[in-house]
Amino acid sequence: MTETGHRSGGGSGETPTVSTRRRYRRLLFGSVGVGVVANVALRLLSYPVAAEAAYWVGIVGFLAVWQFSPVTLFDERDAELERRASTVTLVVAAVVLVLGASGARTLGALGIYDAPPFVGGVLYGYVGLFVVFAVAYGWISGTR
Amino acid sequence: MNNDVRARREERGLSQGGLAEEVGVTRQTINSIERGRYDPSLELAFTLAAFFECRIEDLFDPDGDDAM
Repeated sequence: MTETGHRSGGGSGETPTVSTRRRYRRLLFGSVGVGVVANVALRLLSYPVAAEAAYWVGIVGFLAVWQFSPVTLFDERDAELERRASTVTLVVAAVVLVLGASGARTLGALGIYDAPPFVGGVLYGYVGLFVVFAVAYGWISGTR
Repeated sequence: MNNDVRARREERGLSQGGLAEEVGVTRQTINSIERGRYDPSLELAFTLAAFFECRIEDLFDPDGDDAM
């Protein structure tokens, strides 16, 4: 999600971007937040259709701000933080997948414990995550 | 990587937020650079050097600690 950029040169009285970026970032995450909160509130009030509509208004708002913001929403440090957080997330997922899959198979084969179906679903979900990562990595490395 | 950003910024009477505005990054990025916790991209290093009207090697010392 993070795209970076900053102006070249400096001190020449160019239009400030940081406060604008802050404002649009608030709008970006605020639209999703409001959509989710409204969704939960409306579902609790038994308005399921209106709840989904509110949710999608939030999502569309997020996408609109992301796509049409006049400034770059994240700077290069944000991108670096996101890259590092993604790496940690993948490592955690890999550890859970490697240990969880093997553990579930072993315990099942020994008749000690049969993992409920949702555990298998979670593990296959992680497999899907790594497949998406591999495809994305291959695609991006082909364009750089 | 050690750098001279804080000294040069203070010399000009700029806050971190002010410098951030001038070079188009967040205040947190300037703070991290000054504390040696983040090494800027080559593009940002050039931008900072141009802003302070000096060379990159006058601003950054590669013999400092490793950063992010």
